[in-house]
Order: sequence, then structure tokens, then C-alpha cells
Amino acid sequence: MRRVAALCCFSILFFSARARTAGQEDTSPIRVNVVLVQLNVAVTDGKGNYISGLRPENFAITEDKIPEKIATFEEGGEPIQRLIPGPGSPVQMVSEGSGTPSQPAVQDSGESAPAARLSGANVFILFDTSNYMYRGFVYAQDSIADFVRSLEGVNKVAFYSYSRDLSRATPLTGDRSKVLLGVRNTVAGDNAALYNSLLLTVKDAAPLKGKKAIVVFSNGPDDASSVPPEDVTELAQSTGTIIYMISTQQAQNDPVSEAVFERVSKATGGKAYFARNWRDERKAFASIREDLAHLYSLSYYPASNPNRGWRTINVKLVGKDVQKYRVRTRDGYRLLQTAQVNSASTGSTETQSAPE
Amino acid sequence: MKALLRPSVVSAACLVSLCACSVSVLLDSALAADRPAAAPPSQTVVIPGPLRSFLRMAGVSQKIPPDEVLPLLARNVILRGYENDNETEFLILIDRYLHQARELQALAGPAQEIRTANCADAANLIHILGYQLRYPCGQKNNALVTANPERAFLTTDSGFPLTTLEEALDKDAPFSYYYPSTAVPVLFSESAWVQIGSPRKRREGNLADVLLHDRDVARLYSAMAKIDTETAASLVQAPGLGKLIPVAAVLNFYGSQLCIRSGRVNVPGGPDADAGWTDLVGASPRSPADFATHLMTKDNGWLAVYYDVLARVDLTQQKRLTQPARLKHLYEAYRSAGIDPGATRSVFRKGSELLVLFTRLDWDAAGQPYVPGNLEIWGEILNNQKNAFKPGRDYARRSRSWKSPDQLLEALVAYARLESDSSPLQIYLALTEIDRARPPKMRLSDGAVRVLASKYARYHAWFLAFSEFPELNDTAITRFVTVADSVDSISNPALRGNALGAFQANLSLWQILARQGEIPSAQMNSSWQAAVEPFAKISASNQLFDAARSSLGGVMIGAAGNSNLSQDELVSLLAGPPQNTPEGRRMHREMVAKIHSVLEDQRLASLDTLFALNDGLKEMAHGAKVGDRLLPLAGDLHEFELPRPIFTESEKIDWAPVVYSTRHAELQIRTDLTKIIKSSGSPAQLETARGQLAPFLRDTLVGLNYAYYEPPGAQVLHNNPLFVRSHDFSGITMVGGEPFWGAPELFGVGATAGGGAYLIGSLADLPYALATMEEDFIAPENVQALIWKELVPDLLVGSTLPRWWNVSPDELHAVALYQRCGEGLLVAGVNNAELRTKLGQVLSDRIAPQRLEWIDETLAHNNPNEILPRMLPSETFYLGVEFRRRFPQDFASSGSDAAAIEALGARNPAAIDPERLSRDFGVPHPTLAHTYGRDLLHMKQLPAFGGYGARLFGESWESGNLYWARLADEMGYPPVMLNRLAPELTLHMTARIFATDIEDWPAVLRAMRETGEQFRQGKLAPVSPATTVSQRSGDSEQETATGGIR
Repeated sequence: MRRVAALCCFSILFFSARARTAGQEDTSPIRVNVVLVQLNVAVTDGKGNYISGLRPENFAITEDKIPEKIATFEEGGEPIQRLIPGPGSPVQMVSEGSGTPSQPAVQDSGESAPAARLSGANVFILFDTSNYMYRGFVYAQDSIADFVRSLEGVNKVAFYSYSRDLSRATPLTGDRSKVLLGVRNTVAGDNAALYNSLLLTVKDAAPLKGKKAIVVFSNGPDDASSVPPEDVTELAQSTGTIIYMISTQQAQNDPVSEAVFERVSKATGGKAYFARNWRDERKAFASIREDLAHLYSLSYYPASNPNRGWRTINVKLVGKDVQKYRVRTRDGYRLLQTAQVNSASTGSTETQSAPE
Repeated sequence: MKALLRPSVVSAACLVSLCACSVSVLLDSALAADRPAAAPPSQTVVIPGPLRSFLRMAGVSQKIPPDEVLPLLARNVILRGYENDNETEFLILIDRYLHQARELQALAGPAQEIRTANCADAANLIHILGYQLRYPCGQKNNALVTANPERAFLTTDSGFPLTTLEEALDKDAPFSYYYPSTAVPVLFSESAWVQIGSPRKRREGNLADVLLHDRDVARLYSAMAKIDTETAASLVQAPGLGKLIPVAAVLNFYGSQLCIRSGRVNVPGGPDADAGWTDLVGASPRSPADFATHLMTKDNGWLAVYYDVLARVDLTQQKRLTQPARLKHLYEAYRSAGIDPGATRSVFRKGSELLVLFTRLDWDAAGQPYVPGNLEIWGEILNNQKNAFKPGRDYARRSRSWKSPDQLLEALVAYARLESDSSPLQIYLALTEIDRARPPKMRLSDGAVRVLASKYARYHAWFLAFSEFPELNDTAITRFVTVADSVDSISNPALRGNALGAFQANLSLWQILARQGEIPSAQMNSSWQAAVEPFAKISASNQLFDAARSSLGGVMIGAAGNSNLSQDELVSLLAGPPQNTPEGRRMHREMVAKIHSVLEDQRLASLDTLFALNDGLKEMAHGAKVGDRLLPLAGDLHEFELPRPIFTESEKIDWAPVVYSTRHAELQIRTDLTKIIKSSGSPAQLETARGQLAPFLRDTLVGLNYAYYEPPGAQVLHNNPLFVRSHDFSGITMVGGEPFWGAPELFGVGATAGGGAYLIGSLADLPYALATMEEDFIAPENVQALIWKELVPDLLVGSTLPRWWNVSPDELHAVALYQRCGEGLLVAGVNNAELRTKLGQVLSDRIAPQRLEWIDETLAHNNPNEILPRMLPSETFYLGVEFRRRFPQDFASSGSDAAAIEALGARNPAAIDPERLSRDFGVPHPTLAHTYGRDLLHMKQLPAFGGYGARLFGESWESGNLYWARLADEMGYPPVMLNRLAPELTLHMTARIFATDIEDWPAVLRAMRETGEQFRQGKLAPVSPATTVSQRSGDSEQETATGGIR
């Protein structure tokens, strides 16, 4: 159990004290990694409208009830504000780039978010090609293709499909036409191993910095996975990966899938959508795009915390005018070993995802 | 809706077999220098549209040559095309696709190119494709959206370049797409097949349409495609295709070994067996048409099964088994179980048990079947059977008057019709293998035979240890059985489960260390018994803890002479023997880290913690004040957390499978020894507390086994922390469960609320069970390919169970040289007819005649480069070894590689010893040879079977390690690097396999060679130039980099 102390915390940016002494003989029995925990936070009013213009001081973060200091702050595609230094850096408060000062909190107009707000995000699309999806296959492809086209400003997109096995049809790329090619090149398969495939996708996303999301398009029932959704959820939470789930009506007829879709997405800071037809599917994709564009990105260096198991994160809004709004983000993370988050790709040059 | 659309590669059962002929044929004519080339297919049939699209729709690998298109289409039609006599969605979709393709073909015109000048010009094309434009032409950001889902599905599923079209439409630009039709070869002639089809089912179109809608024709087409050219031509002449239609099903399963040459059937056993076969079949081999028809018709196909099996075994076995009286009596025995249902009623072919028996049957000095023990004991064994197998009862009755081993053989052949993993036939095979491995003076005693037979049904999976380690004597066997019985009899289910787990885990650790050569032969018996004996009497958890620790100590003493190793020291032992080279030490550290990684991710308690806690509690019971020392340890133990639940308890009750249970893990969560330590409880309470450590100890010991056998690319081992703890040793999570000693099986797959998959059963065959689960996390690299469930676990086990710590660079070099010698001999055969005949004699042992015929013809046409990539490494290795043995003079003068072998042999004879190389680079054959010992059996690639024989195909694939070893040698890696390279390269190979059916070993070969090529080019394994190693002495010295796959 002692060895847990040597594990790499992966939530997700490393500023490892050990890294600076690479090559030196490490004689310490306990190795400590200083990590930066990154949170993607959606703030909405009672009607679901996004609230923009909040400032770092509007957020209060605790980890296992221990107050944490925000290290970096970013809204949408605005420049990153560094509020406290990383290890070895002088303390300062800076605003990177040439962004304008933060504005008072306002309700978003509801108009389509500008592409700039999506900048830096990486999106993985995971498409169910099992026989469950057969009838709606081509409509789903249309919706996904529209979604891919709409992701202007997003850094890179990957398109994976799954039935019994995962297919990395288009590894992470900035070239949208390659992604569209992957979408239109899918073939219908057999069983559905959603959670196995989602696990592999989370692991591919794990090494990426910044905002990262997995958009799952599924019919719901899983009949071939050997990992349970609990383990996938924990890994997504611990690697700061948001999971959005879009499912057809069939998933809602399966109470297990419905429950999992809602809870997995909620736990990771995402949302679940149950689409009755292809129009609903398009609306769901549009909603995800909006959500990604309106996320606040906050990070902190965890204060000393002896807990080597699950760490609960709580984010609250501070300020009399903003406490009424709702906050959505992941609710914690677990310390992980490097082996748990190494990409599962077999690593051939043609197919391996390219970490940032 | 859950209908199977198409057989996405190798997803389930199939009927296809490889073509092979009687070995004797080859000696007669197959490679004769003047043999005329087989007639090429005289006709072709046009497949509309790009072949790649058609193959996608037909569920056929897109890497096959054109001549395999129609046979594989026919095969998929038989397997997937019908359900209860109704055409399935699979057939409907191909049919629709062909119509769409013909429409597009018309659009493409004679130029075979679909062209549109601009957006407006594309209306017809878009309509055929089933799409429409979202906006009128000319508008920005235009896109195609589905208009007709049926057509649109065909468009995308067949791989039409829709995105290119969309881009052109958006820009109002021209679009062009080369849309060729493809002519693929037809067996015989198209009219021959169209004529024999049912007029009722005859439709417009060509032979492809006939195959799609007339499954009788499809079945016969599939069957004839597996038969060699000369035999097929003879059958077409007489009795003719039309008369073969009624026997097409039998022919498809069991006809591929039929071999007609010069107007006679070459029967198994050769001409000496003609009379016997005439008697059995009712027609002479000299009347091929009659013989073939009778053979396929008689006894509902069961005589054809018998013939097929005999034709697949080597010539020596054939000669013995087809002696006139024996041939007839054995078939009578085989037939005694009746002829209903017929031999083609199942989706799989029959005969796997008989094939294993005839392949592995041993003979005594007098030429009689070998009998472990004696006939009297075998009479007892038969009489003790409690099954309702009538022939078994008949033979048991007759056994009292048995005089000859042949009578036992007949009974065993009768039992080959019973599908069972513990029949007298299985007992015989297992005991034969144990005796085969032992020296003559150490054969099983009568008492040991009785013990093994009487306990076979329960413990057979564990008896493989006795064939793998012949050093274990009869006492070791009987003590194992006695103690296992004792563990089995523990009444408390939880205690029994923990005892079973700890007992089996320690014996499995013993096997790992013995296999790695870390337990000296002389100490095997004593250390085995030291591992077994402590479990003889367990009635409480604290006893179990002591027993498990003592047993582990026995294993450690055997391997390291010290029973008190720390966990790190034990892990170091398991990782491999100490290394004395920098590369060896680096690889050893890597293996240590891998084991630790699994133990961490499974959040298992350290042995050191458990033993320290145990000792401390004992001390406390004697009054020592050691609480302060123990509290942190108890805290460590209490640290384990279950994954955060996403289901409520009531949801789990409603949604999880009834059998689901995490009770074992939940008990551990509740275990908190801090209270008892703080309160300094009574001696009895402290003893109880010690007992609470037993489940933790079980899990850590089991976890060490899981970690050691981690398959490459494993995910569950690292991401489901309950996986090891959930192992159910006593079947308590099953309704009506009982202690299992058999191979573990995977449960809980696809049960979303069930907490993840887990294993039920023993630790025997654990590597295979882990590979079965982890293979689902390999992502295929080809669109539409799936991971080949029936084969991949064997591939993974074949690369992870063997370790290469004790292999010398000379041995590595020898295995590469032998393969190159084999290739060199083939190349030399181009201009040397005499050599080709000799090559044929050697290769006929392991290559089916249809392929041998192709090799001969290709060499005769001076084209060796076409052959070499399609030769299995196991074939070229065998050719090198066996040619050297049979024709030493010819071998020695055959080229520089042969000279290098001879030079290496002169300097280090052991390094070129085929038996040693077989142990170094072989694979385990637990089904075929009842052992996990590594070996090369040099058999023809076996066909696919169901049930008991499902693993035979995978076990007969022996090329992987030979090929990786050759690569390693040629790229300058030391042998220890194979500990990493073999599993990793196998993983890459597996992801590349693009097969159509479950006997598609050429697809495996393709994937292996592609992987090897990428490895050579440095695309798979960035090599660290940091270290170089000067390797080998003898032939050329090379400075080479070491490193490996990242």
C-alpha cells in the first residue's frame, strides 16, 4: 500500500518536482508529485442559459473540504490567467495573450458561440456501429458529420467507432476532412462493448492537456463489455475528461443504460441526451458544442492531503449575485498509476493518437 | 433489433476447411518434376463495382486474391445467408448492393468512371446513392443528407467516397470516381454451376447471384474450392457436379482430403490399405467416382469423418491405423454410437477427439497401442464410468475378456464420439502424455494410474503439471490429489474458497518458477510437496493463513533456498532468473515493474504487510506490546476502497445478474484490525484477527499469478481493481455452484450493473482465461475487421507463457539460420527437379497437397519470390531441420546459411539441436498434448472445431515465436529481449489480422509479416541507440542496438 505514494497523479498537468531532477539517483522511499488539477466548469441559470463573465474570485474550490487556491483561470477561448505560480516560479498574477479584462457576469445571448471559444479543446467522437444502431445508422452519420463541421475552433478531433471492438477510424487530427472520411467510412458491426471502448478512448484522451471531451453516440445497451461503467467513470474523472452521451430512444427503454448515461456524464461534468429522432440528435450535438464553448477552465495545485484514495472536489460560486447559478463539473478524482492512463493504442504510426 | 448483418470477419463458427490430401499422394506425384501444371480457371464472372466494396458487403477480407472471392462468398452464404430457411439481412443487403452497383456501373459507362461536371449534374448519382443536398446547388456549406436510408446505408457500408463527392458538390466542382467492375475467376465454368442450380432459384445476373440465392450450389462451390485441381477435375467428370449436390454438405466438411490421381483414389495408408477401404466404403479406390460418392453418402457422413481424420495424421500413424483388421474394427467402434444425427448437423465439423487420439497415439515396442498401467485397470476405468453412453457400457462389459491393447483402442475410438472433457479417452490421452514425458523406468505405476483416472473428472486441468514436469513422481501426484480432496471437503464456503485460491495460487507460482528453471530438477519433488502438504488439514482461517505462508515458503526454498523472502524478492524471482548481462538485467527490471504495476492497480495488500501483521498479532497474543508498530500496517490494509458506485443497492438487486457478488471484497473493506490492536484483545480474538488476514493473503497470491500472466495490452488488470478479488474459486456466485478445479471461465461480460467481468474456476489455464478477456481491448486496424476470438487467446498465450531467460544467442541464431536454410532450399529447387522431389517428401509431413501442388508449380515456373512470403516460418524451419536430417549431404552443400549452421553445430552442438530449439521457441499445447510445456509438434495446420477441439486450430499455429526470434536475431537483439518483443509484436500482429473465416491462417501469416516488416523499418519499435551489444561468436560479428517496443 505504501507504493501508492509513488503513483503519478493525473489530473492532468504535471509539474513534477521529480522531473526536474531526472537522471539523478532517487533514494527517497516516498516520491511526491506536485500536480495541477484542472476543472472544466459549466455555470447556468435555472433555465439552462450559460452564465459568462465570471471571475476567479467567483469560484471557491475545496478538495476533501480543504480549500484550494485557483492557479489558472480561463473562460471559453479567452486567454489563460495565471493566478499563482507553479513550483519554482515567482508568484504573480498574469493574463496571457491580449485578451480583454473580464466582464461582469452576464447571461449568454443563446446565439451560437464563436469558434474562438472552442479553441484549444480536443474532442473524441465515439460512434456505436453495433447492430443495435443499424436502422438509424445513416441518419446518425449525417448528424455526426454536421457536428464535426460545426467544430470550428476546436483544436483537434478524433473519430472512433465501436461494436465488439474499438476502431480508431480517425486518430486525433486537425484536418476535418479526415474526420468526415472516418465518419462516412464506418461499417455496421455486431455486439456492443460501449464501456470497453469508452475506457480505451478515455485513455487516449488522458495525456492531452486542456479541455478534452468525449462525445458518445450510442443506442444504449451494452452486451459485451468486461469493465463496468464505474471504472470508466473514475478514470474519466481522474483524467479530467468530460463525457457527453447522446443516445437514441432505445436507451431510454433500457433503464440500466439510461441510468448509466445520465450518471456517467454528470459525474464527469458532461450531459446526457436522449434523442427520439435525427432532429433531436442534431439538437443534442449543437447543445454539446455550446456547452464546450461556455466552459470555464480552472486549475489548482492540491493542498497537502493525506488521502491516497478518492478525493472529493466541490466547486461553489461566491458573491451575492452569482450564488443562485448552477455549477456543473466533475466531483472528484483518484490518484492513478501511469500504467492506468497510458494509451492503449497498439501504437502503429498510422493509427496512434497523437498526444498534444 | 439485433440481427447479424454480415459476418464481420471471424466472429463465429464457420464450416470451411483447408484442403489436404493423403500424404502418400505426394510421394507419388505431387511434386514430380514432369507433372503438368493444374489448369487455371477458364472463366471469370464480373462483379459490378470496385471489388473492395463488394467484399465489404460480403463480409470478406479485402486482402484476399481474386480467386478466393467466389469461394468465400459461397462460404458466407452458407453460414450467414439463411435462418430457418429464410434469407437473412446479410443476403438481402448484398443483393441490394449488387442492384445499386449495377445502376452505378451503368452510370459509369464503358469508361468505368462516374463523372459529374458540377453540382447540378450530380442529381442522378445522388439519387442512386440515397442522398439529397441540404441546400440547392450553389449555396455555401452544402452537405449530403439521407433521403433513402436503405440506399444510403449501402452507399456508406460499401465505402463509396461520399466525402469527396460532398466536397465537390459544395464547391460546385467536377467529381470523378473510377468505378471498375472486376472479373474474378470461376471454378470450372460459369455455366457448369448455373446448370445445376434449382430453376426455381435461378434469377437474373451471373454466378454471383446464383451463389447468393441457391445455397446448395454455394455449398458445393465452397466444397470444390478446397479440393486440389486434379481431384476436382476428376469429380467434375464423374460423377459430375449435379450428382454431387446431394453430398455437398459432407463434401464441404470432409471432402478436402479426398485425393484422386491417375484414375485412383489415394487413400490414407496408401495402396496397402486399398482393400480395407474398399471393404468399408463399398467401392474400390480404383473407381474414384463410385468411391467418392459412397464415401460421402455412407453412414450419414460418419465414414467421411473417419476418412478425413485418418488422412490428416502423418504417414507413420496412417500405416499403423489402416492395417486391414484395425481399420475395420476401429471404424465399427467409431460407428457404434450410431449414425444419427448426421455428421453435418452441427455448425462445426466432427472428429476432433478422434483426430487428437490418432495424432498423439503412442505405440509400444511390439507395435501395439501404448497402455498406461495395464488392460485390467482400463477395464476398471471403463466400468467406473457413470455416463449414459451406451457404447461405453458395451465396451466396459467386454473389457473383462480383453487380451489386446487394440481392444482398448477400439473402446477409446468409440468414446471419441462422446463430447466430454473427462471421458476414458481424455484420461487415456492425459496419462499417455505423462508417460511419454517420463523415462521408461519411471512410467506411471498402476496405483498412480488408478488415482489419476478416478480423480480425472475433478482435477484433470491440474494434471497437466505432471506431463509438463516429469520430475514429479507418483508420490507427488497422489499427495496432490489427497490434499486437494481435503481442501474440497472444507464445509465453510468462504473458507473453502480462500483455501482453494491460496492452494492453487502457490502451486501455480511453483509451476512458473519450475518452468523458468529456477527450481532445480532435483528439488522439484520436495518443493512441490512442501507447497502441497500444509493444506492437508484446514478448519479455520488462521490455519489457512499459516498453511498458505508455509506453502509459499516451500516454494521459495525450492527456488531460492530461503523461505522468508520479501515480496519484492519474490516478485524478482517470478520476473525471471538473475541476469548477468546489462540487457538481461534491464529486461528483468522491466518484468519486475510489470508485475508490481498489476499488484498496485489491483490495490492488493503487500505480503510483507500481511506477514508482519500476522507475526505482530501472534506476538500480542503472547503479551508483547507491539501495537504501535502494527497500527500503520493495519491502516495500510484498511486503505482499499471499492470503486465509487453509480448504482444504488436496490438497482443492483434489480439489474445485476442474480449470481453477482462482491462479498469477498466487501468483507475486506469492513476489515479493520486497528480496533483489536488498540484494545489488545484476548488471545482468541487475536487469533480470529489473524484469520481475517487469510482472504487478503489469498488475493495477493492469486494476484501474483494474474500479474505474471498479464497479456500484452491488458486493460482490465489495470482498470478494474476488483478483478482479482472477484475470482470465484468455489462457485459461490453461481446458482448450484460447487468447487471448481477446471479452467476458469469468464462471467459477467455485458452485465452493465454487475461490477465487471470476473473468473469462476481454478487457476489452471489462467493465461488463456486472461487472454480471452483482454483480447477485447485490442483495436483492429482494418475497417470491418474484428478480433478473432477463437484464435487470439492462443496467440497471446503462445507469446506470454514462454520466457527466454535461458536461451543463448547461438540458439537464437540457429533458429533464424534454419528458417533461412528452408527458404534457400526452396529457391534452389527452382532449377532442380530432383531437389524439388526431396523437398516434397519433407514438406508433405506438414503441408496439405493442394498447397504443395501450388508450391511445386510456382517453383517450376521459376517464381520463388511468390512462394517465400507465403511460407509459414514453422514450415521453413521444419524444412531446414528435417532436410538436414534426411539429406545431410545435400543440406551441407545448399548454401551459406547451411554452412553457418554446420559451423555453429561444430562449435556448439546443443545450440542447433532441434529438440532444444523446439523447447526454446515452441508453444504450449494444452488441448493437443495435455501440457503447458513448450514444443513444436510440426503438424499440418489443423482445421477449426467446436467444443473440446476449439483450441486445436490455435495450438497448431507454431510460427509466431520462430518468426519473432528470427527478427530479433537479424536485428541484433539479445534473446532476453524476446520477453518483451514476442508479446508486443504478437499484439500488433493481432490488431492487423484481417481474416474472413476461422481457418484463415494465411490472414494470420499476412498480419505477422506486415508486423515484422514494420518492426524492421523501426515503425513499431523505436530502438534506443543508447546501448549496443556485441553478440555471438562464430559467424559475423555485429554491433547492434538494443531497445524495444514502446
